[in-house]
Order: sequence, then structure tokens, then C-alpha cells
Amino acid sequence: MPKSLIAMTSITYAMKAKRFLNNKGIYCEIVRTPKNLGSGCGYCLSVTKDPREIIRLLEKENIPHKNILSDKGL
Amino acid sequence: MINFDNSATTFPKPQSVRNAVALAVERYGGNPGRSGHRLSAQAAEQVFIAREKAARFFHSEVENVAFTSNCTYALNMAIKGILQYGGHTVISSLEHNSASRPVYGLHRHRGVRYSIANVETDDENTVRNFEELISSDTKCIICTAASNVTGQITPVKRLAELARERGIAFICDCAQASGVLNITLDTGPDFICTSGHKGLYGPVGTGLLITNGKYRLSTIIEGGTGTTSAELEQSPDMPERLESGTVNTVGIMGLAKGIDFVNSKGTANIRAHEERLCERLIAALRQHRNITVYRSKGAHYAPIVAFNIDGIYSTQLAQYLGSKGFALRGGLQCAALAHNSLGTLDTGVVRFSPSAFNNRQQVNMLIGEIERVASGKADITA
Repeated sequence: MPKSLIAMTSITYAMKAKRFLNNKGIYCEIVRTPKNLGSGCGYCLSVTKDPREIIRLLEKENIPHKNILSDKGL
Repeated sequence: MINFDNSATTFPKPQSVRNAVALAVERYGGNPGRSGHRLSAQAAEQVFIAREKAARFFHSEVENVAFTSNCTYALNMAIKGILQYGGHTVISSLEHNSASRPVYGLHRHRGVRYSIANVETDDENTVRNFEELISSDTKCIICTAASNVTGQITPVKRLAELARERGIAFICDCAQASGVLNITLDTGPDFICTSGHKGLYGPVGTGLLITNGKYRLSTIIEGGTGTTSAELEQSPDMPERLESGTVNTVGIMGLAKGIDFVNSKGTANIRAHEERLCERLIAALRQHRNITVYRSKGAHYAPIVAFNIDGIYSTQLAQYLGSKGFALRGGLQCAALAHNSLGTLDTGVVRFSPSAFNNRQQVNMLIGEIERVASGKADITA
């Protein structure tokens, strides 16, 4: 299944988001931001669902995030 | 040795804490939040689980829990992070040096003015004393929830209301409160600074800074946070902003089990158990005219008893009791302000502070030894 990456601001917010999404039955993983997609260290949520929908859920829960790094499938 | 110095650090620790520490060393050796590999991720998961437990315990958002080395670090981060340069603060007359020294340091080197509000037995008076000292440039109130010398409880909720009304921050030292008094962010402080290794039964080397996120702290320590590494600017995000460098996974995993232990017993039950032990001791000590127990009518106390025997310096008595197998702390307990208020700067006090693991029989044995000294039957110089 194609995956999308949502860049997160910190490992703690990435984990908070993962816990939140998992509790809603939405599968996701935390991965390091690939070098070709971001500078410096960083963490992303790797999701199979529509990343725009995921971001909407995160924003509703006040979980900060950065941008969608890739929604073309990895 | 029977430990009645649990205000310094609780000992023994619950078996679950010991097991968690061993497990952390054995299995969770990666650097949490620093790499993408499984070892790092597994350690980060454990740290996050501990953070969630602390957040639930103190009613905060998970990201607003910062792990520190101890309460002193947490207090320094909050105090220096709020006050920075100039302005004014009001601290209580019961503060531990972990609050009073950073404030004094800021006064000496950064032009911060400070006032000391007297904590009285009457809460109304205490709150009024604080209120009268707040001025137009006051940035924060700093107050311990319970004195580490006598255990006297301060009106935290009222002081939080006062701070909120005046639009200033409230930094609360909960080192002696956490685990026995139910103080959470709902009680009102903007910052709860506490140790992980006292009433929360975690390993030494653990502490917590909990915040409601209303104030953004300037940092006193900067460095690697595992994120935004390309930037020279310290990460703006909590808790990484306050957690530069590798965190203490081993201690944090132990602390998580310590919090579980407190939850399983119940804060109110632990307090009630320890208070019964304190009451037993106080009742016995008050039978002797030459023993002073530092408790005042009308005041409320956390489970700590401060006392002295006339004519015997507190550290000398504590040393003697130590030789008989009882660990109590004499001297000033790193709280000169509190002793100044108490009138015991010259003598110090002997401090008795039980834990969930002490029992009445142990207290009776201690009483026997103290009574031998008080009645002149023991030669404490020997």
C-alpha cells in the first residue's frame, strides 16, 4: 500500500500523534525524515491513509506538525 | 539500616522500580530520539510511556512533561527561564536552597529583585503576605508546596489564584509534596517542579518539570535534541527544548514504575500511612519536656517531623541515631530561609520523614532510642 510522510516537529509530537492515531484505529509508523526530503534530523509519520485527512485529525487534536513531505507513495 | 530520611530520597524502592532499572540497562540501551534504528526507537517508546504516566499523574499534556536530573534542575530551569534579567519575584520564607539560591544568583548577577513572603500558620495571612509584596514588575511567585524542614503545607491553590489574578507565573516546588499531596496543574501552578526519586519512588537522578504551557521558558542549557539539528537555535518545542542531551532512560523507566506504585497505593493512602507514623512519633516526643517538636497549631503538614532535644546539636543526635541503625537527617536540610523562620539556624533540626515502606514497629524502635537520649540514659558522645 502506498505510504505518505508527514513531517513532525519533534519525536514527542510524533509519538503523541502515533498514539492518538493508533487509538483511532489508524495505522502509522514513525520514521526518520529521509535525507532527500528534509534537512537535519527529524521524524515523520508514515501513513497509508490520505495525509490531508490525517493532518485534519492532528490539527483538531492540537498536535503540531510540519508539512506533507511525500504523498506520491514511497 | 532503617531509613527515616525519605525526604532526601525514598529508600528502599519498590521491586517494580528495581526491575525496570535492570530491564532498562539490559534491553533499552539505544539513545532515545536520536536515531532511526530499532534500539533508539524502543528506548524512545519507553521514555514516551513514562512521559504519558507523568502527564496523567500531574494532569498535563504529554509534551509539557520535561524530565530533569532532580527537582533542583527543574526549579533552576523554571526560575531562570521566567526571570532572566531584571524584574522582581516573591518567594516564600520556607524555600529550599534550590529555589532561594537561583533567585539570589539572579539578584546578584542579573538585577532581579526579590522579596520574601512570610508563611504563617493562617493561610489567609500567608496569601496576604504574598499579595502585599507583588509589584508592577513582579514576574512570578515561587513557593514550595510543603517545607522540606517541617513539612508545613502552603496554600498552593490560593497562591495560584493570586498569581493568575495578577497575571504572573507561579512556580511551585513539589519535591516534598508529590506522592503524598494531590497537587496537579489543576491545583493552579504554572510550573510544578518535583523530584522523581522522593515521593514518586523513582531512582535518584530523576526529576520533573511540568507546565501548563502558558509561559515559554528561556533555556539555561542548550544542545542536541534530536530534532531541527540544522538550526543553531534551540528547538522551540516542548519537551525537547528543555531536554538537551541524552536523557536518563534508566532512571525514567524506573520513575514510570514509581508513579505506577504511587497510583496503585493511592496518594491519600500513602499520606495517611505516613501521617500515622508521624503522629506516633510526635505523641512520644511530646512526653518529654526537653524535646521540641516544630509543629504549630492551625498549620497543616506533610508527613515530616522536625524536632530537637535541648542542648544537643541536631547533627550530633542524627549521627548517634545513625550509629543505632536509624537514618534521619540533622542540620539545615539545605533550607536556610526555613530555618531562619523557625529560629533554628544555629541548631538545625533532626528531620524524620517516613515512606510507604516504614512501619509502626520501626518507629517504636526509633522512639526507644530517642527516649534514651532525652532521659540522659545514652551517652551520645561515645
